[in-house]
Amino acid sequence: MTVENVDKPVETSSFAQPTRVQRIVDHLKREWQIYAMLIPLVIWLLLFLYKPMYGLQIAFKDYSIFRGITASPWIGFEHFHTLFGSEQFVRALRNTFIISFYTLVFGFPMPILLALMFNEVLNQWFRKSTQTIVYLPHFISSVIIAGIVITAFSPSAGIVNTVLGWFGADPIYFLTKPEWFRPIFIGTGIWQEAGFQSIVYLAAIAGVSPTLYESAVVDGASRWQMMWKITIPSILPTILIMLIIRIGNLLEVSFEMIILLYQPATYETADVVNTFIYRQGLQSGQYDFAAAAGLFNAVIAFILVMGANSISKRYSRTSLW
Amino acid sequence: MANMNLYSRGDRMFVWLNMFLIGVFALSTLYPFIYIAAISLSTGFEARAGNVVLTPVELTFAAYKYILVEPAFWRSYLNTFIYTIGGTLMSLAFIIPGAYALSRPQLYGRRFWNLMVAFTMWFNAGLIPFFLNFRDLGLLDSYFGIIIGFAVNGFNVILMRNFFEGIPQSFEEAARMDGANDFQVLWKVYVPLAKPAIATVALFCIVSRWNGFFWAMVLLQDQDKVPLQVFLRHTIAKLSDDQEFSDTLFTQAYSAETVTAAIIVCSIIPVLLVYPFLQKYFNKGILLGGVKE
Amino acid sequence: MRHLTLASVLMVTTGLAAPVLADGHLKIVDEPLTLTVQMNHARYPVYDENWPVERVARELTGISLKDATVGANTRNSENDGKTEALNLMLATGDIPDIVGSSRLKDFVNQFGPEGAFLPLNDLIDEHAPNLKAYFAERPEIEAAISAADGNMYYIPYLPDGKYGRAYWIRTDWLDALGLDVPQTVDEYEAALRAFKTQDPNGNGLADEVPYFARQWPELIRLVTLWDGRSSGSDTYHDFYVDDGKLKHPYAGEGYREGIKNLARWYKEGLIDAEIFTRGSSSRDYLLSENLGGSTHDWFASTSGYNRLSADIDGFEFKAMAPPASISGKRVEEHRRIPIKPDGWAIGHTNEHPVETIKYFDFWFTEEGRRLANFGVEGQQYNMVDGKAIFTEEFLNNSKPVNNQLYEVGSQLQARGYFQDYNYEIQWSNEFALEGIALYDEGDYLIDQFLGVAFNADEQKVYDKNWPSIRDFMLERQQGWILGNGDVEADWDGYMATLDNMGLNDVLDVMQSAYDRQYGG
Repeated sequence: MTVENVDKPVETSSFAQPTRVQRIVDHLKREWQIYAMLIPLVIWLLLFLYKPMYGLQIAFKDYSIFRGITASPWIGFEHFHTLFGSEQFVRALRNTFIISFYTLVFGFPMPILLALMFNEVLNQWFRKSTQTIVYLPHFISSVIIAGIVITAFSPSAGIVNTVLGWFGADPIYFLTKPEWFRPIFIGTGIWQEAGFQSIVYLAAIAGVSPTLYESAVVDGASRWQMMWKITIPSILPTILIMLIIRIGNLLEVSFEMIILLYQPATYETADVVNTFIYRQGLQSGQYDFAAAAGLFNAVIAFILVMGANSISKRYSRTSLW
Repeated sequence: MANMNLYSRGDRMFVWLNMFLIGVFALSTLYPFIYIAAISLSTGFEARAGNVVLTPVELTFAAYKYILVEPAFWRSYLNTFIYTIGGTLMSLAFIIPGAYALSRPQLYGRRFWNLMVAFTMWFNAGLIPFFLNFRDLGLLDSYFGIIIGFAVNGFNVILMRNFFEGIPQSFEEAARMDGANDFQVLWKVYVPLAKPAIATVALFCIVSRWNGFFWAMVLLQDQDKVPLQVFLRHTIAKLSDDQEFSDTLFTQAYSAETVTAAIIVCSIIPVLLVYPFLQKYFNKGILLGGVKE
Repeated sequence: MRHLTLASVLMVTTGLAAPVLADGHLKIVDEPLTLTVQMNHARYPVYDENWPVERVARELTGISLKDATVGANTRNSENDGKTEALNLMLATGDIPDIVGSSRLKDFVNQFGPEGAFLPLNDLIDEHAPNLKAYFAERPEIEAAISAADGNMYYIPYLPDGKYGRAYWIRTDWLDALGLDVPQTVDEYEAALRAFKTQDPNGNGLADEVPYFARQWPELIRLVTLWDGRSSGSDTYHDFYVDDGKLKHPYAGEGYREGIKNLARWYKEGLIDAEIFTRGSSSRDYLLSENLGGSTHDWFASTSGYNRLSADIDGFEFKAMAPPASISGKRVEEHRRIPIKPDGWAIGHTNEHPVETIKYFDFWFTEEGRRLANFGVEGQQYNMVDGKAIFTEEFLNNSKPVNNQLYEVGSQLQARGYFQDYNYEIQWSNEFALEGIALYDEGDYLIDQFLGVAFNADEQKVYDKNWPSIRDFMLERQQGWILGNGDVEADWDGYMATLDNMGLNDVLDVMQSAYDRQYGG
């Protein structure tokens, strides 16, 4: 649903003023319960998230923890200059977009596909147990997953090279090859998270009214047709919302996993904004620099989301706000 | 709902192929868990040397013995339950009414309120201001602080709102005719209809609480209040340190690796148990019982 | 206060080797004084007043500490340098009287000049005779810990013992192949090649891994065999000092020669093909599977692997002297750093700076140092012939020694103290001791670069240029070893790129900071 449904405040003239106030009072009298439900949420957001946001100003300051935020001197866009002044940053930014783009193209549809596939499983026992299993990797820390990946792709004992060996291929030291980093990293991410991410779509599918299917069955529709004609259109709003949010996270790449899998030899394709900033020496507590990078990320993300959101709003009725 | 004889042959092939593909994928995702379980039951040396692939090498329960006699383990385990249950209930208490309000077309400034929620998904204050804010609110080092301080997450609110929006207006009309107010409509009409959504959001809250450690580490002072994930990190640090200093790898049957694995196994078990409980809401047909048109 | 100072000076001279008696000669205050303290470490997240060591210290000095640690649970973010607790503490605005931590140096050297910590120079001069004597004896230490403004802001933890890493080799394999312990780089290469081709593990497969390392930069360490350098300190890829001039190892001729040869070794299979990804498990795996031939690793932790002789017939993994380089020099580049960035400092709101520095000084007295190193006399150790010797009961306990010492409050690196290597020798195994003796015979160690403290302008130049340069160096380094490009062909372009990226600017600021600090 869109904002267009909301009562817009009427154009005010001095003559219309009392009417407007009257309207608001009437509105509140009638709908106060909605506001009562909204207020705790709004207060929470203000108290816990918006109040400390004054801290974002350190992106433009030479922040000293000792002097405090207010007393630290302004330095304008210096941190941003430092950030963009480095060739490595530009490369990292490009890598971030490339990795995110592929993750979006290959990774976004996976959980949807998985949810649709689960929906076609009739054996409840099989369905329940496989659902429980596929979401397990989400609970296993990156360190362990990375360890498994490194072993699987190792040139001497790894399963991948072993299988390639059956076809007569020479072993490849995958994790030092820039051209292999992205497929391995993206593939791992999809494999690890698809099960967990499919939950949203499973829930959306569960929300589809069964009467739709019942009448389709009467009309003699096949499973395949029902999936395309009923299930997918019904969960489209959920897909769109998830897509918009995903687009907003284009700059977010699983930093922990990259740190564990990359090497100087693969920086060329693997180094992303977060890892670049990490190596810049964030460990010594350069909060101002980190804030500048974070702010940059947020602004880009927000622009992307606004774009995606208005497109979505134009062609469907789904919108983030 | 439907039964097998309604399926054509093509449909049946499709069903079997589908099951096969899911089965293969599930097997691959089961592997890390089997691997961890095998590590947790192997000796420290074998685990560290990377000799464990599928089954335990030199089966031992030393890692479990090490953690199960550790009071701090049980304490942190209990804490994780407190944060997870308390936090999830707190989250739902904010999110369900809030998302309902945000989904109402008649809400004045609806676009603004929704934007206010979405904005927080990308802009955040950073560590130090967040920490100082917590201190100023007097919530440092308290269970309540951790529970309330992370109750709302923009993504979950929007997800919930989106589900509410997808429920046709016709469902609430009958209730409105009976003179129900918004609280009643939410409770009697929307909540039952949105069970899959609530289950989803609850699951997300549970999972993020269960896995969360960073803020607990920063905001909690008392070692008796930390959750399992923080205890896990402390234990890894301690054992790795020992291993650098002496021959513990040879003298003890456990190591940082096996103890870590054992803690992970212990932490996954409750998650495995709670999922099927929530899972029933994701399975079709449940809705039928809730509402008859 | 003056009489107290006098008293402690007297006691230092007369108190040598005297048993700890509660005769009050180390008393700092007559009225008990309590100071607040921040102390955070992975192993002891907060200060514990019940540590037996602290009880004794309290009794001797009259000063008691009270825990005021902020961010206690952030302790083990090892990769992030463990300063989160310090940052949080500083952010609250309440700095305790004493701040002890690992990774303290950069922190106090940044915030000390801003006023958060007290400069210690005058305090030491006037009130801390033991510290003063210590620094007088080792002027480079004072230089190394000073901030850019020339002041000292913390008392460091000073490790004792010189030797860190060494070359290790399967001596039983050498014997089996009829080889002597390699003495030169050529002999070393021949030995590694023999490991690869002559099947010393006797399983009929050429599966031996001649050289391996838990940390891949230990492969780069081998460039010292071609007169190159890999680092000037115990931090990888660090700058080094050559005759008063700051240089970077990865921009030198010896490095070029070394990389060329290491690339050849790698190609020939003399180096673990998976050296960049095998990580910490490599030593456990390759040694226990009877595959690994040689490495460069710590004395203490590597010597323990000789226990594998229980499973592998004849297994013997011994330290060997560094092979002579192409020019005949034997160099062991790694050594224990004499000063750690860990220790403690005095917060600016401390109302008793004099008593506090005296308290710091106490840990540098004979008695204090023993407490900090060995624990409590009669409990963890006894005096035998004037030496602190751990009790049998203590050493034969199933718990690791360090672990036990932490538990009583000793060997805490968040405390400024001077370590006594005797504490470690007592529980080092025979292979480590034998190796150390071997390294003691030759004089293989070289001077360490102890770091510089930048002023704000220098820091800016460094921060802007250095991380990118380092990334570029490492990318090329791994590339060359893996056979992606040829170091000889690429070298001129490589040096030109370093120039473009501002390596000389970085070296300039390092040099100016170095000259200022070490009076070069």
